[in-house]
Order: sequence, then structure tokens, then C-alpha cells
Amino acid sequence: MMDFGFVLSKSSTVDLNKVDLSMYRQLEKLSPDVRTCMACGSCSATCTAAPYSGMSVRKVILGLQRGNDVSAMLSNCMLCGKCTMVCPRGINTRNLILNLCRIHETGGRNDR
Amino acid sequence: MRPNVVIIGGGIAGMEAAKQLLYLGYSPILIEKTARLGGHVADWYRLFPDMTPASEVIENLKKDIQNANVFLETGVQFINRLRDTYNVMLTNGVSINCHAILFATGYDLFDARKKEEYGYGVYNHVVTNRDLELWFGGNKDVRIPERPKSVGFVHCVGSRDMKAGNMQCSKVCCMTAIKQAIEIKEKFPESEVYCFYMDLRLFGKKYEDFYISAQRDHGVHFIRGRVSEVGENIDGTLQVKAEDTLNGKPLKVSLDMLVLMAGMLCGEKTRELADGVRMDVDTDGFFKSRDNIYNVTESSRNGIFFAGACTGTKTVPETVSEARAAVLSIHNYLQQK
Amino acid sequence: MTDRIASGFHPFVLPFLIGMAFVLSYCLFGMIRIILQLSKEDRRKFFMSLITPKILLKDVKDIFLNCLIHVKLWKRNPVLGYMHSSIAFGWFMLIVLGHIEVILFVPARAKLLYYPIFFNYFVSENETTLRGAVLFFLMDFFLLVVLSGIALAIIKRFRSRLFGMRRTTKPAALDLVGLYSLWAIFPLRLIAESLTADISGGSFLTLPSNWLAHLFMGHELYPLPAWWAYSIALCIFMCVLPFTRYMHIPAEMMLIPMRNAGLKIRNLNKGFAKVEVLSCPGCGVCIDACPMIASRSNVKDCTVYLNRQLRRGNDKRIDQISDKCLLCGKCQAVCQVGVQGPDLRVARRSTRGYGINQDYSNISATPLEKGHKVLYFSGCMSQLTPRIGKAVTAVMDKAGVDYEWMDRDGGLCCGRPILLAGRKEQARQLIAKNTELILASGADTLVVNCPICYRVFREEYNLPGVRVVHHSEFFAELVSKGMLSPQNGIGKICYHDPCELGRGCGVYDAPRELLSRCGTLVKAGHEKELSICCGGSLGSLSLNFSQREAITRNSYADLTVADPDVIATACPLCLSTYSRYADRPVMDIAEILMNQQ
Repeated sequence: MMDFGFVLSKSSTVDLNKVDLSMYRQLEKLSPDVRTCMACGSCSATCTAAPYSGMSVRKVILGLQRGNDVSAMLSNCMLCGKCTMVCPRGINTRNLILNLCRIHETGGRNDR
Repeated sequence: MRPNVVIIGGGIAGMEAAKQLLYLGYSPILIEKTARLGGHVADWYRLFPDMTPASEVIENLKKDIQNANVFLETGVQFINRLRDTYNVMLTNGVSINCHAILFATGYDLFDARKKEEYGYGVYNHVVTNRDLELWFGGNKDVRIPERPKSVGFVHCVGSRDMKAGNMQCSKVCCMTAIKQAIEIKEKFPESEVYCFYMDLRLFGKKYEDFYISAQRDHGVHFIRGRVSEVGENIDGTLQVKAEDTLNGKPLKVSLDMLVLMAGMLCGEKTRELADGVRMDVDTDGFFKSRDNIYNVTESSRNGIFFAGACTGTKTVPETVSEARAAVLSIHNYLQQK
Repeated sequence: MTDRIASGFHPFVLPFLIGMAFVLSYCLFGMIRIILQLSKEDRRKFFMSLITPKILLKDVKDIFLNCLIHVKLWKRNPVLGYMHSSIAFGWFMLIVLGHIEVILFVPARAKLLYYPIFFNYFVSENETTLRGAVLFFLMDFFLLVVLSGIALAIIKRFRSRLFGMRRTTKPAALDLVGLYSLWAIFPLRLIAESLTADISGGSFLTLPSNWLAHLFMGHELYPLPAWWAYSIALCIFMCVLPFTRYMHIPAEMMLIPMRNAGLKIRNLNKGFAKVEVLSCPGCGVCIDACPMIASRSNVKDCTVYLNRQLRRGNDKRIDQISDKCLLCGKCQAVCQVGVQGPDLRVARRSTRGYGINQDYSNISATPLEKGHKVLYFSGCMSQLTPRIGKAVTAVMDKAGVDYEWMDRDGGLCCGRPILLAGRKEQARQLIAKNTELILASGADTLVVNCPICYRVFREEYNLPGVRVVHHSEFFAELVSKGMLSPQNGIGKICYHDPCELGRGCGVYDAPRELLSRCGTLVKAGHEKELSICCGGSLGSLSLNFSQREAITRNSYADLTVADPDVIATACPLCLSTYSRYADRPVMDIAEILMNQQ
């Protein structure tokens, strides 16, 4: 690469028209309650793994809706179930995480 | 002799309705289960948006209903429907025949102990919005430190929460929290005040002014994140955990005192009473109006009317106007008979 | 007693022989296959157990008591116990006595497999058989026993409520074939033996019916159709047996030695797990036991249906059933065979592939302060129920215990929840991290207030020199040592046995002992190993919050039958689950103990 003395940074705008939602769509099928998240952050605040790793179910859900890669966050989840206990919308977050880990297996194509 | 109208509940809705019924020449019978009139508002110190002393509102209403029949410390045992009247049996043995009943039974404040993770009743410095108002009004409360350096307000305690059995927004808590945050800052200008909210719902007249004032004049910190749990440090201060969702990071802060904004629920006891006359409950857990646009003050049963927070969370001015609307409905109903 | 048929053969024995040959070879091949499927270590364990006299003796005893006498069932339901043991033991005795008859009277025919079964057709009575009278009597007696069992079985099929069963399984089509052929075998045998009783001899059952037959049918009786029918019924039963729930008969005889050898469920589709599944008799006792049936839609998610789907290989349903279960373990507690429903489900969960596998190697927990004898681990769930931690520490302060609260500001998960999700490898990592922390602290006692954590600490952790106790046990010790002296005065208490503490760890008495010092213990509708899960269990992956409500309300109602003043429990999850719907105080035993100081 030639050094021009500056770099072109990728646009940080999320273009909703181009976002890849395939992962989110699959998750919706397995865990329909994911749609009811109101991003209150209770799950992240209570998360046992968060202090070590920045795990946040809220960010995972939002990330999927915006086409981000969320796998790194998921890898520290201890599946302890606290987030499910505190979710005010009654989302089964623990199962949601398991489902998401499963979807990742097949690169986001089928559910098993 | 004008027909009897029984009003169940001696809060502001019941009192205002009694006052209007008296104006129209009816003889309202006001039944209140506690020893004093005024309901929840009587516990409050000042009311938004003009910081009107709540006691002033109650005292004025009391003066206006001097000529009404008031039964204090009296409950309703049961209600029987007769041909086109109702027989109301009171706990003091009195039986009343009436042509119309007005439910002004209001709401129950959410029992904050049920959100155990917030530590109400467990930790020493956790109070509710009501406790704080009572304290503003001059009541002693050992839970409130003499000179708190930091105070937190938790919005939506028992509101918008499936786990607490109430999915609805209680509507007034956001505004109440901001009002109380300002009042705390006025009392303790040196303190840091934090409001933990999910969404700020400030819809009413001049509410936004309060929000701006809380930010600009008082430096109240607003943190968008629902508190998930509260711990206690060894020195007795509270360790509050939330996610600062705007910053995307978990957040913790040590506070001297925590105020829980307990939400509003339809009273369980009044629902039991309503079962006797088979009154419907709406999907939000409150009484079901004939319809929610045009006939909010009428039930689906002829001769039974609603006023105030028994059909959903309401502010004080909304309750007062609704009581007047209910009286007009009752008047029209009795005229047609 | 002499041979009546010179050849010692008649074509009607063929159906029986075909059925017998089929079922024996099926079972033999199945057995060999399963043994081959075992892991090397398991296979060694299994064979060793078979040559260890003590275990072998236990195998024989267990098979006799469980497969033939059905002792466990007798204890739970005497009528059902009689029904099963009359058929199993009665049939067994008929076979044994049949062989004795052959050996005694026609020893030359002892090699023929069918002879004992159709003995009465092939022999005729003569003067020398007086010593056979006792055997004839016994044969008729056990036939009567079996027939009474069959009669009960028929009544049970149509009126299961009479037997104290509210719900029973809906049999599959082949099960019905097996069932009806089983019902038919013994009445047909009675008819066949009755029709030949004047030739072959008989006793109190067959002789009078022979006389009756003569009364109605005249001098000439035609017994052959009955013998054919009897043989065909046997054939049908044996041919469908491997594909019906009656497979549990041979399977259980294999299960018992394997279990006694100490084998554990590893792979769901092979080896030991397969035997577990085949051993399910499909009786449906687990349906009434399952806490999920508080809502009717969950009936088909009970263990008996899991086993059925596992036999059929219906992957979708197996996954659904495995994920839904609360893993409370009650089905296993009431199961006559002891089918490990929870372990089967966890094994299923562990077969699932995940694209993201959790890894905690980057996590480093802060080391604990050294020098305290006692470590207190409250667990994740207790952070949402601060009452418990506050009470536990207050009680320990009161008793003068020198402790450190190792996860006061949050700690690592104990590993049990992820283990229940079937991810053993990940659980191992968490267990290793916690082990390291605990051992480095130098403490000798670990007090745990959460039964979920407690169970994994007991079962999966290796903590040399550290005693793991549940807080109820720890406090009961403190009380017995006189370091705590609670006052009796809280009123009527009903104690709920948390699944993981009771059925999981067998701790039933310590909490009761403590509570009886603080108030008057009253009984719940179901207690100890029969206690009903609160519905909050982490065991279930897929049950969502609103689906759990019915389970909780049902279980809560069971706790209030004696109208207690307080509901006591010893698990943070039960505590918060019940508190949500409770109409009276729900408290942890630590809280009660603290209040009664």
C-alpha cells in the first residue's frame, strides 16, 4: 500500500437498507420474544459475565438488528439465567442466547 | 327527594364527585375505608406542575362537601343489584338503596418489597416516592439520611414489568421523580441526584419545563438504564447497578439513599368487590369502561360509573375533570329514568 | 404321567417357537450391540461387576424384587403393585413349574423348548401321578393369580382413576396389539388346559371348567383350536414385544446390572442410555408427578413421552421435550424403574452443536482474602434476593463464625446452569476457576445458600480439605452446638423442599430440624421426594415466564393446604418465584432463623 499520509475510514453510518438481518430473522423464529426488547439494560446490568467481558444481551439484540457481529460478546456468557430473571418484558434471554449460539453454527442458514 | 348516589372511595375523585353532585341537588353518600378523606393525594406534599400544596386541595374539597353523607372507616361488604336500583351493604351494618354507584376506588401503590432486588424493607436507606412525600410533609423517617451526599431515583418500579405483574406505564412517576429530584436538590444543594429511567415520559402541561429545570438549574443526572439490583456496602451505603445504555457499559454507583418510584395498580380489594356485580376488568388490569374514548366514566352495567384512577393511571387534574364528567353522566342517567 | 403324543410335536407349537426364536435373538443381538456401544471404561466396569460376587448378588436380588415382585410399586400403590407382580411373578412361576413338571414326568423331553409351555397337551394322566397333584394345584393357582392380575389390568385400562392414577399414557397402536395379545394369552391358556384336563389332569380351576365344557359341548371336546389360539397369542406378543413398551421386561433385566455397575448416561442414542429408554414401562406414573402438567398442554412433555419419542427417533419432539423440562427429578423419584429422565434430557441437550462455544480463559477472578475458616458463597440468584445474604451473614455474625463472603460483589457462576444446558466442557472451565479460588483461600468449610450451586459443588467439584455444606445444614449444626438458640414463635411454617436440595442432594431433615425450633411445622400436600417444583427452575430452557405461572400457582397451592403463617424455603430461586404470587410471607430459613434470635 502506498502511504498517502491519510486513510480513508469506512463510513460509520448504519445503512438500514443494506443491513444483513438474516441472523436476526432466524432468531426471531426460534425466540419470537426477542422483538419485545425495550433496551432497558437490566440484563446487562445484572449479568454475571459482564464485568469480565462486556457481555450484554441488550447489545446483542440491538447489534443483530443493526447487522453487527455479536459472537465475541456471547462467548463469555455463563448461562446463569440472571438476565432472564430480571427482564421486565419476560424475554427468555437464556434460551435466546443458546439459540443464537446454535444459529452461528451453520453460518446463519438453518436452525440445527 | 332526589335519588341517592353512593360514591365508593373518598379520594380526590370521590370528593370532587360528591361536591358536584351536591351542586346539582343530589344527596351523595361518600364511603371511605380509611379514617380520613383525601386518598393518596393526602399523603403527597406538593403537586406538579405548580407545586400546589396537596393539603390545600384536600382542605378546599373537604369544605365543599360538608353537607354530604360521609362514612369514614367503612367498607362495602357487598352490592346487590335489584330491579333498577342497587343495594349497597356497608361494613358498619348500614344498608343503602341507591340509583347509581360511582366507583372512585383509585389505585394501590405497588408494594415495592415485591421488587426484592431493590432492597425495600431489606436495606436501611431505600424509600418509595410516597415515603419521600410524607417526609417532605414533615413526617420523620429514619431511612432518610440527615445530609445525603447522593440520592438515586429508580423509575418504573412495578410498572412496565411483567415480573411485577403490571405491564402498564404508570404515567405520573417520571414527572414525580423529576419533581422530587428537584425538591431533594433544593433541600440538599450539595448532593448528587441520579434518575435511572427506561424512557422519560413527560407528556403533560409544563412537564418539559421541569425536565429542563432539573438539568439546567439543578444538575440532576439522567441515566438511561433500568436498575437491575441494589447491594449494600459495608458502611451501609447502597451499591446500585444499572447499565448505562447510552454509553453501552454497566455502571455502578454508591448512594446514600434510593427512592423507588412505585407504580399504580388497580386495587385488589376493589376488584374483589367488583366481582360481586360482575364488573369487567380491562386487559390492563383496571376496570373496563363502556368504551375507552367516549364513555370512560361509564361501566358496562347500568347505574355504575367510574371516576379517577380505577380505570387507569391518572394525574390529579385528570382525575378531577373525570369526576366532573362522571357526575354529568350520572345526572343524565338519573334524568332519563 | 406319560407322553400322549409319540412324536412329542404338533404344528400348533410353531407360532410359539417362531415368536420365541425372534424375541430371543432380538434381545441377544441387542444386548451384544449395546455392550459393544459402551465406552471401553464402561464395558470394563460392567464386566467387572458381573464377576464381583457382591454386585452379582445384588443384581439377582434387584431383578427378583423389582422385575418380578415390583416392591417399589407395592410401596406406592398396593393395587398396582399386586397387578404387576401377579402377572410377572405368576407367569414366572408358571414357566418354572412347567419346567419342573417336564423334568419330573417326561425327562426325555426336557430339551424341547415348547414342552413346558404346552405340557398339558402332550401328556396324559395315569395312576402313578399322585405326586403331580401338588404341581397341578400350583399350576392352577398361579394361573389364577395371573388371571386376577389381567382382570385388574383390564379394569385399569378403562378406569385408571380407580387405581389412583389421574392421568395415564395413551398407548400407541403397536402397544395396543401387545396389550391385547398379553390379555389374551392367559384366558386362552385356561381354555386350552381346561379342554384337555380330563386327559392330562388338572386341579381346582381346570377340572371344574373341563366338567362345565362337557356339560355344554357334550362328550367330544375339540381342544386343538384353543391350543392354536394360545400359541398364536404368545407368538403375537413376542413378535411385537421389541417394538412396544413391553420391551421394558428384558431391558430392565439389563438395566439393573448396568446401574449396579455404576454406569452413567453419556451418549443418548447408544449403550446405557438406550437401555434406560427401553426400560421405561410406559406406565405414566411420571405424568401425574410432573409439575408441568399444571397446564394441560405440557402433558406430552413428561418422561414417558420422551422415552416413546426416543424409541421412535422423532428428533423434533425429543428436542422440544428435552428443552422444556424443569429437571426437577420427580419423575425419576416416582419411577418404578428409576428411569433418569433429567439426565436423558441433559444428554440430549449436550448433543447439540453450537457455533459459539463459551470460553472463559480470559476471565481472571480476584483472589479471596486468606485466613478465614469459612467461605460463604451466595451464588448469582441470591444477588436478586438480598434478604437471604443479609440473613445468612447476620446469623453467622450472631454465632461468631469467622467467614468471608466470597461473591459479595458478584463472582463467577458455579457452573450448574450451563451444565444443565448440556455444556459440560464450559461448566468444567467455570468449575476449575472456582476450585482454584476456593483452594487458594485456605478455608476448610464452604457454606452455600443456593441449592443449585450446592449440588454442583457436591457432585462436580473436587475440593480436598474443604467441606461443602448447605446453609441449612451449617445452621442446624450451629444450633446443635448451642451457638445459636432460636426462639419458637413464628407460628405455623410450611417448608418447601427445593428440588436440587431435596431430590438432588437428599437434604430433607436439616431444614426441618431448624424450622421446628422456630415455629410449628405443618405439612404440605406433597413433601420431601414428592415435593412439587416451584416452576422457577433453571433446568428448563424453553419454558417462558408466563408459561411458568400455572406451575408456580399449582405448587404454591400445595404448600398452603394446612394454612401456614409462613412459607419457608431454602433456595433463592424458589423464594423469588413464590413471592411473586404469594398471599403470605415467603421466607428463606436463614431469614426465619435471624428473626427468631
